[in-house]
Amino acid sequence: MSTLLSMEDLTGGYGEADILRSVSLHVDDREIVVIVGPNGAGKSTAMKAVFGLLKVRGGRTVFDGDDITGWSPNKIVQRGICYVPQVDNIFREMSIQENLEMGAFLKKGDLSAAYDRVYELFPDLKERRRTLAGSLSGGQRQMVAMGRALMLDPKLLLLDEPTAGLSPRYMEQIFQISRDVRDTGVAILLVEQHAKQALAFADRGYVLAAGQNRHEGTGADLLANREIAEMFLGG
Amino acid sequence: MGFLELVNFYIIPGIVLGSIYALGAVGITLIFAILRYAHLAHGDLATLGAFVAFAVVTGIGVSPYAALPVAIVATALVAVGIDKVFYEHLRERPKIITVIASLGIALMVRAVVQVIWGVDSESYVRGISRPDVYFGLRIRDREIYTVLAMLALVGALYVFLSRSKWGKAMRAMSDNPNLALLSGIDNKTVIVLTWVIAGGLCAAAGVFLGINTELKSMMGWQMLLPMFAAAILGGVGRVEGAVLGGLIVGLAEELSVLILPSEYKAATAFVILLFMLLVRPTGILRGKVL
Ligand SMILES: Nc1ncnc2c1ncn2[C@@H]1O[C@H](COP(=O)(O)OP(=O)(O)OP(=O)(O)O)[C@@H](O)[C@H]1O
Ligand SMILES: [Mg+2]
Repeated sequence: MSTLLSMEDLTGGYGEADILRSVSLHVDDREIVVIVGPNGAGKSTAMKAVFGLLKVRGGRTVFDGDDITGWSPNKIVQRGICYVPQVDNIFREMSIQENLEMGAFLKKGDLSAAYDRVYELFPDLKERRRTLAGSLSGGQRQMVAMGRALMLDPKLLLLDEPTAGLSPRYMEQIFQISRDVRDTGVAILLVEQHAKQALAFADRGYVLAAGQNRHEGTGADLLANREIAEMFLGG
Repeated sequence: MGFLELVNFYIIPGIVLGSIYALGAVGITLIFAILRYAHLAHGDLATLGAFVAFAVVTGIGVSPYAALPVAIVATALVAVGIDKVFYEHLRERPKIITVIASLGIALMVRAVVQVIWGVDSESYVRGISRPDVYFGLRIRDREIYTVLAMLALVGALYVFLSRSKWGKAMRAMSDNPNLALLSGIDNKTVIVLTWVIAGGLCAAAGVFLGINTELKSMMGWQMLLPMFAAAILGGVGRVEGAVLGGLIVGLAEELSVLILPSEYKAATAFVILLFMLLVRPTGILRGKVL
């Protein structure tokens, strides 16, 4: 399997202070990779770094053969990475369908194939496609957010805590949909608070703490590691 | 006072004035929603639009209605130009800097109008226009055209915002600027569009004020407060709200004469503005809180 995304020794932050210090990680084709770690570890920051939203002071990010360090978000979207932020990830005052349409903003021509694909993954959304996204429940909003990001057929999907605040039932559903998405050929890098469940579901994982790499390995290996279990997973 | 008298002398003028305010308020609300600042040069841009139409009317001897499209295009271009030359450089700074800068622009635009057209009152057509009487209602043609033009322009904008790709992009940017950026929506184009629309509507407000009253270099500035009151009353970011707000403020100003001395007419908008900010800052249709 070839490497799709690799972040190499990335150092940077929002202002002067470095939040990420020499963080390295990679995602292969059709892989689901999870980042876990305590609050404030820099998980969201690592995602923003991929998306060109950070001042990078060292290292680089390579995607599908291109060095994308310092690219604008706009160019990165066009290159095939779509990002679902942790908060404020939908257009509340627009309908579900319009949210999806905005996700496909850069796409020329007919969108019906893209709509079909997203509605197939999220049948619930199809029925309510004229509903304002802001009036939906948390789980459905998350589906709109993921749907929006999938409209451009990205090669890599970044999901920041897609299950935050959701009931276990919705969490399972989001994980299941993520697998379905992967099966359509999209690699996924996600951040998760529900570390146990996420590690069990992902192919590989990284443990980040204080802006640095701590551990990495397959989900099963990380789950089996006593130190990790005690540090981050609450025993 | 009879019902017809109330309608003829207060309600009809109120709706006409309100339609003019609505045209300006829609632009103010769009700028608020997308650029997130109060644009204080809005009134003086309306003055500019009114005088551009005046130049066309006197220059080639057409009616002000025929000059309206020219005024709209010219003012839209000026608005885009002002943004490029001035506001664009302040984009990353605190918004209050742009607000104050827009006050400076207001003074500059007014000075330009005064240098070119002087400070005296002018009018598009000489002579008085007599109202026609329909079932006892006294309505002038120009009043009908004003209301119809407002409805047509705002209706077209509404369709643009709800149907077209770029109109939706404007709403997306107003809704969640960050996510709009992450979706690959080009904010520069959205900003240019915003100024084209706001500038064009501004010119229409100025021209119709000129058609219904007279042209003065202070005409737009005097409309600024009622236009802001209308935008906030309707809910910032809400196009329908700005129209509703404009009509309410226009009617309130005309009706205020029934209970207050007419010198206080202009204060009515101020009272509405204060009241809304204190009681319901999101406006009637729940807009953004600034
Ligand atoms: N926009 C920002 N500007 C400045 N500092 C920020 C910003 N966002 C986050 N930080 C800081 O960066 C550090 C890492 O934050 P980050 O959001 O990446 O953590 P996280 O691992 O995603 O945490 P959580 O689990 O709470 O989402 C924190 O110390 C935070 O205060
Ligand atoms: Mg986070």
